Amino acid sequence: MHSPKRIGRMSTTGRKARLATAAMLLVATTMTACGDGKDDDEKASAPKAPATIPELTKDPLTLSFIWFDWPPAKALEAFANTEYKKVRPNATIKVNTVPNANWHDAMFTQFAARKTDFDIAILDSQHIGEAVTNGNILDLTDFVKNNIDVAAYNPYLLAAYGQFPQAETGKRDENASLYGLPLLGDTWTMIYRKDLIGDKPPQTWDQMISAAEKCQADNPGVSGLAFHQANGSDAAAVTYNTVNGVYGGNLWDPKNRKIEGVLNDAAGQEAMDVLVNKMKPLTAKGSGNWFIDEVNAAVAQGKACIAFNWIAASGGLLDPKESTLGTTREQILDKLGFATLPSQKTNLVPLGGMGMHVSAYSAAANQAEALNFMKWFEQADVQKKWAAAGGVPARTDALESPEFLNAGPFNKVYADSVPRMRDMWNVPEYARLVDIENTNVNAALNGAKKPKDALDDIAKEQQSVLDSSSRKGGGGL
Amino acid sequence: MTPPAPGRSRRLSDRWLAVTFISPAMLLLLAMSVFPLLWALYLSFTDYSATRGGRANFIGFGNYTAILTSAQVHTRALTTLIYVVGAVGLQTVLGFGIAYLISRRTHGRGVLTTLFLVPMMLSPVVVGLFWRFMLDAQFGVVNSMLGSVGLGQVEWLTRQRTALLSLVVVDTWQWTPFIMLIALAGLSAVPKYLYEAASIDRASEWFRFRTITLPLVWPLLLIAVMFRAIEAFRLFDLVYILTNGGPGVSTETLSFHIYKVAFLGFNTGTASAYGILMVLVVIILTQFYLRYLNKLKEG
Repeated sequence: MHSPKRIGRMSTTGRKARLATAAMLLVATTMTACGDGKDDDEKASAPKAPATIPELTKDPLTLSFIWFDWPPAKALEAFANTEYKKVRPNATIKVNTVPNANWHDAMFTQFAARKTDFDIAILDSQHIGEAVTNGNILDLTDFVKNNIDVAAYNPYLLAAYGQFPQAETGKRDENASLYGLPLLGDTWTMIYRKDLIGDKPPQTWDQMISAAEKCQADNPGVSGLAFHQANGSDAAAVTYNTVNGVYGGNLWDPKNRKIEGVLNDAAGQEAMDVLVNKMKPLTAKGSGNWFIDEVNAAVAQGKACIAFNWIAASGGLLDPKESTLGTTREQILDKLGFATLPSQKTNLVPLGGMGMHVSAYSAAANQAEALNFMKWFEQADVQKKWAAAGGVPARTDALESPEFLNAGPFNKVYADSVPRMRDMWNVPEYARLVDIENTNVNAALNGAKKPKDALDDIAKEQQSVLDSSSRKGGGGL
Repeated sequence: MTPPAPGRSRRLSDRWLAVTFISPAMLLLLAMSVFPLLWALYLSFTDYSATRGGRANFIGFGNYTAILTSAQVHTRALTTLIYVVGAVGLQTVLGFGIAYLISRRTHGRGVLTTLFLVPMMLSPVVVGLFWRFMLDAQFGVVNSMLGSVGLGQVEWLTRQRTALLSLVVVDTWQWTPFIMLIALAGLSAVPKYLYEAASIDRASEWFRFRTITLPLVWPLLLIAVMFRAIEAFRLFDLVYILTNGGPGVSTETLSFHIYKVAFLGFNTGTASAYGILMVLVVIILTQFYLRYLNKLKEG
């Protein structure tokens, strides 16, 4: 056996040629990855959707949505494939879902790539600003004028799920642009144990806390309250914002873009004090990371006297297979009551739900189909069918219809809550603002920060985010 | 001029053959590793945002200065340091201990080793999820067991100290086998005649461990520690699943913070600088570590 001879050093010319080849490859890779830079500049603002629906394709087409994984997503896919197929037999609806915590990332990383595998993004109302300023979704203003009966809606719902800049509570700016249409309305409902605290729900926040306190003391093993406290998604932030609203606080001064001194004013401090020092002690030990599913589990297992949850996520509570409160829906309803949130200094309730928004990067045929779907979906009879299928419509006639009001015990709660709704900021910086609020409220609820310090930190850090547009470097820290 | 040596053309063709075989891997490496690293380096000096688009404006060392002077980053660095020291320290002690005990067994060694390796083969997401259920304060099996022996409920994932401790415990559960495996390889390589000689000299068990076993296994163990420390320094998945960085931000590690900077606000320039700094820290610390290892080897 002979060992291979060592090959001599490469000649200078050879090495240069190889180095040049490697450099060219690197440059080519860079150019391919970067493109020519035109795309970014050309799409600096939201492109406009046509005022009329373009001709629809006759070929088979899949219209894709993106949402997070929860019962309404399954309901939408089933409903649309049954009903929309009657008018567009060649269209198939696919609702792609991701875990709630990845929802924002799943949509916006695709938007960042300027290529989406969905045609309709179901955005939270607060995501609109980020999507509009980045040019990720179509401007539907002209389309809505020509195809949608805007008078059929409570103006605030239309504004909340589509308008940017944001509408102030309860008002819609008729001149503002619309970038989406309502898909699913939602708000918090108070879920209470009729067998433990009585048939009549507490009317004020103070009464609610007292009732929960007494119920907890009278029923060992059952906690007085259950609500969202997790530091993921917008869980703890929505909880604080709700209490803040009820105690007369404000999240910010939108005109002057001021948060510091507004959020942490006396009303804000009182709300944080109520949340951490009066409500938190009535929750189960270790509930500091609870969100939608955990609150529902506590209610279904009979471990909470009073709970707060999104209406759209409450359907499972009436399923006897998932509950220890009864073997039939009726038995469960004998024990569980659903009511609008108690009021205190104000009667504000959180606005939930989402709208439909057309991806700017979707193929033309799919964009046309998406617009057609939205026009179809917002018709009065379809909205009533959506209500009967388990959805929460936005049209006033559908909200007042027996199809909706009789579909679930919490639907009347939604209808009664509509005039009381308040949303969070829908500015482009939303994702960072909500993270700051979530982590600090979660810290206060779990003893990692004093309530006052947490609120002051939220105000200071959020203000810094709003003011950071002129900062050179370190954005996002 | 010297004529070309016979067979030169064959050698050249061998070289080109080698280049042909290597080039797909090199191209892949270039596209998937080298280019992204250089691109991230370029972006780290700009204010580029992946979602906002537009041109990337050069801002010099602005991102680096902001990161290095940020109190938020310092907090995450401290959390990461505590986590790395706690988790890798515990894994080293346990891993070496288990390896030492296994190495002394003559029967069932293979089966025991395989069993101990199972946690390492699982996906961190799966590990995170089932530990999340086990550590749940209300419904978790851990608190249920504590309750059955008369101990109270512990809020494993929602209190500042226990949350970080839980991360250390879960990581230790998963990665102790790695240290064990390397230590076991080292222990198996210790020449038996050294122990025999020590026995003849009536050396105590402790003396044999201190003067034969440990010095011979130590360099290998240090390499395992280095690999684990680098991995632990980059911890993301367990934090994401188990605590989501909470309560508050008390279990947010540097990698988790980068994720938030990169994807919550899409501050791509800052996130790139943050990532580059983390790579630099690992490279510098590894260099010191390797020098120490080389000194050990020379000694």
